[in-house]
Amino acid sequence: MIKKLSLLLSALIFSVAVLAVDNHYVLGVDGLACPFCAYGIEKRLNKIEGVTDVQVDVGESVVHVSMREGKTLTEDRASQAVDEAGFTLRSFSEAEGETGGNDAQ
Amino acid sequence: MKAIGKWLVHAALTLAAMLALLAWVGGAINWNQEPPYSLVHSWGEKGNGAGQFNDPTGIAVTNTEVFVSDARNGRIQVFDHEGRYKWEFGTTGDGIGELGRPMNLTIHDEKLYVPEYMNDRIQVFSLAGKSLALIGGPGEEPGQFNAPGGVALADDGDLFVADFYNHRVQHLRADGAFVKQWGTTGETGKGAGEFTYPTDVTFAGDGTLYVADGYGNRVQAFDAGGDFLHKWGGPFALGLYGPFKGWLTTATSVAVGPEGNVFVADFYNDRIQKFAADGGYLTAFGSKPENPGHTAMAVAIGSDGTVWSVNFADNRVEKWQPVK
Repeated sequence: MIKKLSLLLSALIFSVAVLAVDNHYVLGVDGLACPFCAYGIEKRLNKIEGVTDVQVDVGESVVHVSMREGKTLTEDRASQAVDEAGFTLRSFSEAEGETGGNDAQ
Repeated sequence: MKAIGKWLVHAALTLAAMLALLAWVGGAINWNQEPPYSLVHSWGEKGNGAGQFNDPTGIAVTNTEVFVSDARNGRIQVFDHEGRYKWEFGTTGDGIGELGRPMNLTIHDEKLYVPEYMNDRIQVFSLAGKSLALIGGPGEEPGQFNAPGGVALADDGDLFVADFYNHRVQHLRADGAFVKQWGTTGETGKGAGEFTYPTDVTFAGDGTLYVADGYGNRVQAFDAGGDFLHKWGGPFALGLYGPFKGWLTTATSVAVGPEGNVFVADFYNDRIQKFAADGGYLTAFGSKPENPGHTAMAVAIGSDGTVWSVNFADNRVEKWQPVK
C-alpha cells in the first residue's frame, strides 16, 4: 500500500514538474470573433513544431499558445503564423502557468 | 440679387441630391421591403453532451431532420424539427468518419456534404451517418483545398466548393476531378469573379450559383454556364462593410429559399438578410449575442420557407418564420 502511494506521489510530482516547464504565450490578435478566422490562426499555430495547445479567447481577443517542454515560440514565428492567417499580431508575451487542456483539433 | 437666389437654389438642390444619394447608399431609402421573421423556437447551450454545442458552424435540413455542424466537438448532431435530439455521428480527427471542424453543410440526393476546415477536404456521408467518400486534400493545386467553408451540388452531382484561404471557388466532378475555378488562387480580389475569403456557395432552382464572398462583404451570382451575373453588398459591392440595409459585414453562409430568395448570414451584424434573386434587399432578422462574439453564422431554408440558423456566440439553433 505504501509502495503504491509512493508511486502515485512520485507520478504526481513528476507530472507537476513537467507542466511547470511548459512554455505558454499570449498573442493579441484583433477581429477573432468569426470562426473562419479564429480557426485559421489555430490551424497555422498548430503547425509550429512543439505547439501542444492553442486556445482562442474571443472576448479578450487573445490566443493562448502552449509549447512542449524545451520548445519556445519566438515573436517573429508567431507573427508569421498570424500574418498567414490574414491578421496582424497586436501583442506578444510569455505567460506564467498552465492554460488548460488540449483543444488543438 | 437674382444671381444669388439662383445660386442658393442650385446649392440646395445639390445638397438634397447628395443627401438622397447618401441615404440610398446607406440603405435608408428602400421601397422593396418585407416584414421581418420572428424566432419561433431555439435550443442548445455550450457543452459536449447531447443537444449541446461547442461552436455550431453549419446547418442543413430535410423535411424531418436538422443536421448541425458542432465544430469543436467534431461531430454532426441530428434533431427533429422541434429541436429534440435524435442522434449524432463523427468524432474529432482526420480519419474516415472523423471530422476536423465541420463547416457549412449541404444535403443533396440523400447525401450530406461536410467541408472540413482543418482537414482540407469534403467528406460525403449518407443521411444515416456512414462515410461514403473523401474529396480533396490540403494544398493549393487544382482539386485541393485550404480550409473549405461550403459546398454546393449541381443536379449532375458536380461539386462547387468555397475554398476559403485559396480565395477561389472550385468546380469539381463528383469524384473530385478538377473542372475549373473562379478567382485567383491565393489572391484576394474585389472585381467580378474575384473573391476575398469565400465562405459558402449554393444553387438556386434555375441553376444560378450564389457565392458568399466572406470578407469581400458581398454576394456574387453566376449563371448555369459559370458566367458572372451580378453582385451585391454595400455600395457597388466593392467590399465595403457596414450595418446598413443590404450591407454585409462578413458573409459566412448563403442559402436559397423555395421562392428563389437569397438568405445571407451577416455575421458581424448579428442578422440574416433576405434578398430577392437580383440582390434587392427584402428584410433582416437575428439575435443579439448574450455571450462574447456574434450570432449569425449559418443559415438553411426548409421546403416550407422556414429559416434555420445557428447562433454561434450562444451555441444555439434557431428557427424563424415570417411574421404574419
